[in-house]
Amino acid sequence: MSAEFEDVLLYAERPEWADVTPLPQYQGVDALAPINYSAEYQDATDYFRGIVKAGEKSPRVLALTWNIINMNPAHYSAWQYRYKTLLAMGADLEAELRLMDDFAVTNMKTYQVWHHRRLLLTALRSPAAAAAELAFTARVLAGDAKNYHTWSYRQWLLVHFNDDDEGGLWAGERAWVEELLEKDVRNNSAWHHRFLVVWASGVRRGDEDREAVGRTESAFAKDKIALAPNNPSAWNYLRGVLEHTKTPFATLTSFVELYIVSDAAEAPEVVDLDNPAPTEGAQLPCVHALEFLADVYEQEGGEQVAKAVEIWKSLANEHDTMRKKYWEYRIRDGLQGARA
Amino acid sequence: MSDLPSLPRLNRNGHAKLAQLCLSGLPFSQVEVDSSRYTSNNIFGGTIAHRVNRLAVVFYCLGTLDLLGVLESKVPEAARPRWREWFWEQQTYGKYGTGFRPGPYMTPEHNEADPNHGEYDVPHLIMTYTALLSLAILRDDFSKLDRPGILHFVRSCQQEDGSFSALPNGGEADLRTTYCAIVICSLLDDWSGMDLERAITYIQRCSSHEGGYGQTPDGEALGGTTYCALASLKLAPATTTSHWETRITPAERARTIRWLAANQLSSGGFCGRTNKVADACYCFWCGASLDMLGAGDVVDRTALATFMSQCQFKFGGIAKAPGERADPYHTYLSLAALAVFQPPDADESWQLPQLDPLWNATLDTARWAREHIPARRSPS
Ligand SMILES: [Zn+2]
Repeated sequence: MSAEFEDVLLYAERPEWADVTPLPQYQGVDALAPINYSAEYQDATDYFRGIVKAGEKSPRVLALTWNIINMNPAHYSAWQYRYKTLLAMGADLEAELRLMDDFAVTNMKTYQVWHHRRLLLTALRSPAAAAAELAFTARVLAGDAKNYHTWSYRQWLLVHFNDDDEGGLWAGERAWVEELLEKDVRNNSAWHHRFLVVWASGVRRGDEDREAVGRTESAFAKDKIALAPNNPSAWNYLRGVLEHTKTPFATLTSFVELYIVSDAAEAPEVVDLDNPAPTEGAQLPCVHALEFLADVYEQEGGEQVAKAVEIWKSLANEHDTMRKKYWEYRIRDGLQGARA
Repeated sequence: MSDLPSLPRLNRNGHAKLAQLCLSGLPFSQVEVDSSRYTSNNIFGGTIAHRVNRLAVVFYCLGTLDLLGVLESKVPEAARPRWREWFWEQQTYGKYGTGFRPGPYMTPEHNEADPNHGEYDVPHLIMTYTALLSLAILRDDFSKLDRPGILHFVRSCQQEDGSFSALPNGGEADLRTTYCAIVICSLLDDWSGMDLERAITYIQRCSSHEGGYGQTPDGEALGGTTYCALASLKLAPATTTSHWETRITPAERARTIRWLAANQLSSGGFCGRTNKVADACYCFWCGASLDMLGAGDVVDRTALATFMSQCQFKFGGIAKAPGERADPYHTYLSLAALAVFQPPDADESWQLPQLDPLWNATLDTARWAREHIPARRSPS
């Protein structure tokens, strides 16, 4: 770390820190799993313990905590004290966000980075600042599209501010998710986010006609499945839509039947916009389609369960042998359900 | 699967050696292990980094030795008092109650006379869970445990929405911290430390359309937090409004099993989220989840063990994926997964003791905990 700052002195060597009494760390009994700290880290944290004991909240505390979190981004007490200091000083919290931007990108896998922003946004209570944060998280996700913390933070911003006005925070979410899925149709985080935006966070402005929304969303998922039939994220979304809207799986039978043939050439010639056919060269039959069709039969019950069992057998023995145990379980479970 | 190559031996000595090595010292590059919010983030497999804190590293190492049945020989009785003492030194009390902190890193020297914590040296929920289990592995008698103080601390961490924050005065509040609060109450066999109904409502809100549970109510389904949700729902006793049997409907159960089973990939390993790669730790989080749902049968044990054998690091320890470096976290969780899912027809090197999947401890350790952690009730 010190290589970056060539002439940095230890706090113990700086006259402007002479008024602070450093507090070395308590060592205790023969520490299990001892950690060998560097001299810089030990020095900075000694002064930090001193500052905390004295209760000082001043600009130099910001410099000290910044130094510590740069050496150890997970030092949660340094983050916590930094936040309290910012509040006590009445500091410009948006400036703090900008200071932290690059740091957040470099340390995007550190929880504290995002928690700190969350505290700042809660204190700011500004939808405009939240909008800027949405743009910031979009930039971060452009680099690492599946970073869980960044997604969580974005979801928190949307739900916390819940700004559903025209042009409000939620307004651009669906289009943005579509962009992400254009880039990578298997981005499960983006699919999950779409489910949150459309279904799991209440009814958004413009989405009041739920039946129409259900049709649009199921068409959206079907188009994406046509593009890459073996994409579980899209199938899970489609199932989620049907379950959420209490639509029987059977309404999609003619769609899934296009995906259970072993050869795309067997598919009908006529182009049906409601039932897009698999893209050329897709690996067929599609396991997810077979599974879906078996679920249709199982839902119908009675005689139909035998058809489901046939499909599960083919999955177990031919099309998805690595999940043989699961399909055998479905057979047992399905037969039991049919008897009950 | 007949086309699988025969299983190599489980490198028990190598894995025990890694645990011992980590217990004896950590290089500065692992300084992040020092404070725990970071860890708490990773302890349940939340992120890719998997860096963990100091107390957690100790727990994984002790757990590894316990699972390998070598605790007696590697940590002889004579050496244990000092280990126990180190854990008890992390027990701290104050206005938020009593609990364990990740280490003394905010504790000034010469503080022995006043263990009363300040605002910045408070106990941590995940560390408290970890310390209790570690002390049970070390067969502590728990005579130093401040039981009422612990329950007070758990209460101080519960939030309005039913979840629990890692620290009584801040920190993340999600399924991992909520699971820890539930295990602590379950270990103490005393539920006066929480509003159970609100906690259960919170857990149920984390369920996602895919069938798994996210880290928070709006989060994407994740293996580690699905484990936390299911174990919590199983450990929490029935209340007047939440009967144990109706917490998960049959449809929800089927959906969760489906999602979990789909996470076992052709390599035999499990991924933690849809469309991600296999990672050894998720073999435990997803596998144990299936076991808790009574669907352990759907796991392909042979394929799982094959994946684990490939994750074994040549110098000992188990890595998150083949070709990666081993670490205590993946070593422990891989062995835990193997303890739940013993490969059929494997040689004796793969034999591990049975595991309690809810507490994540061997049955012997769980029995010890049950006998020593709850308050002794006066005979009535
Ligand atoms: Zn992992």
